[in-house]
Amino acid sequence: MTAATRRKLIRSVWSWLVLAPLLLVTLLPFAVMLSTALKAHDEVIAFPPHWLPAHLDWQNFADMWTAVDFGTGALNSLIVSIGGTIVTLGVSVPAAYAISRITFHGKGAYSQFLLITQMLSPILLVLGIFRMAASIHIGGGTLVDTRSAVIVIYAAFQLAFAVWMLASYFTTIPPELEEAAWIDGATRIQAMLRIFMPLAVPAIAVTGIVTFVGCWNEFPIALTMLRDPANLTLPLKVVNLVAGRYTVEWNQVMAATLLATVPVAVVFAALQRYLVQGLTLGAVK
Amino acid sequence: MSTTTAARTAAAAPVRHGGVRLPLAPWLLILPSLLLAFAIIGYPFYQIVFLSVSDVSRFGLVRGFAGLANFTTIFTDSIFLGALLRTAEWTIGVVAGTLAISIPIALVLRQDFYGRGVARTIIMLPWAISLAMAAIVWLWSFNADYGMINATLRELGLMHGSVQWMAQAQTAFPAEIAVGIIVSIPFTTTILLGGLSSIPGDIYEAAAIDGARPWHCFRHLTLPLLGPFINIAVVLNVIHVFNSFPIIWVMTQGGPDNSTHILVTYLYELSFRLGRPGQASAVSLAMLAIVLAFTIVYMRLRRNEAIQ
Amino acid sequence: MKLSRKSLLACAAALALSVAGARAASAETVHVTVSYYSAATGPYFEKMAAEFHKANPGTDIKIDVVNWDSLLQQLRTDIAGGTNPDISIIGTRWLLDFVKDDIAEPLDGYMDSAFKARFISPFLQHATIDGKVYGLPIAASARALYYNKDMLTKAGFPNGPATWDDVVAASEKLKAAGTPGFGLMAKGTEVDVYYYYALWSYGGDVIDSHNKAAFDSPAGVRALTLYKSLVDKGLTQPGVTNYTREDLQNLFKQGRVGMVMTAPFLINQIAKEAPKLDYGIVPVPKGTTSSTYAVTDSVVMFKNSKVKQAAWKFLDFLFTKEPRVEFTKGEGFLPTTVAEAQDPYFTDNARLKTFVDLLPTAHFAPTITGWEDTAKAVTDAVQSVYIGQAQPEAALKQAAARADESLGK
Repeated sequence: MTAATRRKLIRSVWSWLVLAPLLLVTLLPFAVMLSTALKAHDEVIAFPPHWLPAHLDWQNFADMWTAVDFGTGALNSLIVSIGGTIVTLGVSVPAAYAISRITFHGKGAYSQFLLITQMLSPILLVLGIFRMAASIHIGGGTLVDTRSAVIVIYAAFQLAFAVWMLASYFTTIPPELEEAAWIDGATRIQAMLRIFMPLAVPAIAVTGIVTFVGCWNEFPIALTMLRDPANLTLPLKVVNLVAGRYTVEWNQVMAATLLATVPVAVVFAALQRYLVQGLTLGAVK
Repeated sequence: MSTTTAARTAAAAPVRHGGVRLPLAPWLLILPSLLLAFAIIGYPFYQIVFLSVSDVSRFGLVRGFAGLANFTTIFTDSIFLGALLRTAEWTIGVVAGTLAISIPIALVLRQDFYGRGVARTIIMLPWAISLAMAAIVWLWSFNADYGMINATLRELGLMHGSVQWMAQAQTAFPAEIAVGIIVSIPFTTTILLGGLSSIPGDIYEAAAIDGARPWHCFRHLTLPLLGPFINIAVVLNVIHVFNSFPIIWVMTQGGPDNSTHILVTYLYELSFRLGRPGQASAVSLAMLAIVLAFTIVYMRLRRNEAIQ
Repeated sequence: MKLSRKSLLACAAALALSVAGARAASAETVHVTVSYYSAATGPYFEKMAAEFHKANPGTDIKIDVVNWDSLLQQLRTDIAGGTNPDISIIGTRWLLDFVKDDIAEPLDGYMDSAFKARFISPFLQHATIDGKVYGLPIAASARALYYNKDMLTKAGFPNGPATWDDVVAASEKLKAAGTPGFGLMAKGTEVDVYYYYALWSYGGDVIDSHNKAAFDSPAGVRALTLYKSLVDKGLTQPGVTNYTREDLQNLFKQGRVGMVMTAPFLINQIAKEAPKLDYGIVPVPKGTTSSTYAVTDSVVMFKNSKVKQAAWKFLDFLFTKEPRVEFTKGEGFLPTTVAEAQDPYFTDNARLKTFVDLLPTAHFAPTITGWEDTAKAVTDAVQSVYIGQAQPEAALKQAAARADESLGK
């Protein structure tokens, strides 16, 4: 063992020791979900409770799948999250390019406006948004209870953070590269598309992930805007298992929560390095 | 790069270079985002202002102009004043706690050690759960009879019987703050990790040659360089935590006897349970004024500090 | 088995409906919002919609099942946005707010005396405002005391407690044996109602004839003092402000609390989840008088509906005997119509009969605007007393002042 390896080994031991308390607390809810999700109903409310189920009741997942209509919920969540992400990126990439590359009057005011949009609690804004959606008539109905309305609203709420993240990253891409292209006779737009955009892809990807997760987990807007069970997203369907019921099937609730979390957790696990870099690279330069 | 620019960054991305002056191009580029934000947030915001000075029925029908009556009602309402104070405790508690944990965690995660990817992934995990669902899981974990927190404490021999966590504010509110901290750590740590990785390693080598101790390195090198990122983390977390609804609503609904209400949960209760949209709008505007004032004052303070 | 066949039927019917719907292009659609009572609620209404559609091919019924917790919020947003359904289930206690804002359609014009006679009269009376009927009572329940027979037999009350003194005596015995006697809920909805049980049993009332708060009367103070003394003496489960109605019912199902007051639907739950539990049901304990709480939910029609006739036809169908019996049985409620009450299911069931027999002494939540404010003020007051922040009398006086600010407004 070389000295360097040994140093790394020692460092690893104390690093894990320092992290251990937080890791335990972070994993606790996941352990609780798994433990409860695998218990039979009468064991869930048996006293005293134990971590390990007496027998593994996988049936909960099947029961939950039908009770929650999980497949529909997951599909809806995917639709609004992907849609929301695309719209968000579509409007925030040009905006971020503008504030990171071009000097213009009102830039400060624009940025401040975006920050202020983040300060309003959506809890009350949704009322006005709902009225607005209800007053827009399209094809015999209104925008209420449509996934497209939810997508646009999500984009408006995700916008500020996306612009900020993208802009701070864009400023780290040296402008000299584009300027060189201009000298070579490329137009500004050509330079942007050919030189700038390829370099910006990682930032856009990371911003996309953060936006996606934000939409995937969103609750109050979806609660107000969506009605038809065929349109409801996963958080709504899961919370519906708990809110205002005469009995709560905790094993099913935990099975649903666990299953709703896994896809995002997997994405995080696969991409955590890029996530850190993305928030990183640019953040403040 | 000074703290000054960085502090401004949260509000305004920095000016980088002049380039060719195209008076219309930037506006065309930001136009879609402006339209979107105005369309979705502008009208509802106008509605809130309008309702806050109106006499509104329980179903949102406007009966007439109310002047500042809604505001005087809420500012003389003891529940509102209690919630105001508690919102400060909640926001400061969660944001300060988050930073106090995230900074050391980020420093550890920055190092190269075996299993770092796994550790980072685990710490990011709370980000993957919807806040509403996370709150439900925590409520269930804190359940006095069937919750695993009491069960584990009992099995470890740390106590007998059961702690009724949500029965009184003395235990419920700290528990809620703790949950708030746990769900805020992933985002904050990510920002700080970003900040740390932008600090060139050779600074530390130079410092080490000069014989600086690790604590000195942290105090005089890392912390100042991390400053801008901490500022961003503070501002974004304050805005977010201040408006954070699901944790408290799911776990205690502001009770018992309003002893865990923060402004946003009280706002929800006013608007949807008690049917007082006018007063709820007034609370909402008061909240906006508070966050706005905080952001401005905080930015100023940090800027002045940096200049000195 | 029964349920799955039912849902299969509903599926088949829904399928038939969608085929038929495609044919009848000019069909009217009636939008119906119902509250989620149990897993059976959605399938029941879907089935009714399908049956109705079979008999009335020109009308489609669209059912939305909404959680009780978000129902009022959703209706408020919908009404403000003008996207409300044609008919909806609401808590009858909210009705006056709907009437005052001119949102609910008066139903007298649609019904004759024979229709009115279908209902058990106090229930329909409860949804009548200024002589006009605005709601049809669709779900009714009353409250009684469930007791664990094994536990109460050991404590010397094999037939359950009759008075509050019995409750205290039994709970003291049970405490000595190491289990809590009296289950007390003080979290979530109906915290106030749990206190009213005792208030009424001492002859008090929530609101007086002038629509002013009356729960701070000596009877009210006595009732709250009683509960508080139970808490202080350790005769309830510990940490009462941590227990919702559901939590309390779970304790009872597991035999971890001796007595609990709740609605008839616990019978169905126990049959399913704790079939071995030996329990009895007796009226709410007597203080100075007998009383219970009755609560109904009503169906209202909205004034802005464009399909009122079709909507009424559907209501007419829902309130015939077969649909009523199926609904009330499935949900564990009490009959609201005369015909269903004569069904053997209700007349031969001793446990349910306890509830039905209580109805003559039942108090309803008053139909008054600002009811939710009163509920909140009382909930806050009793919670503050249980956690030791306030004395019963002072807390109730303060709550009464707060309630009076909103009552009738």
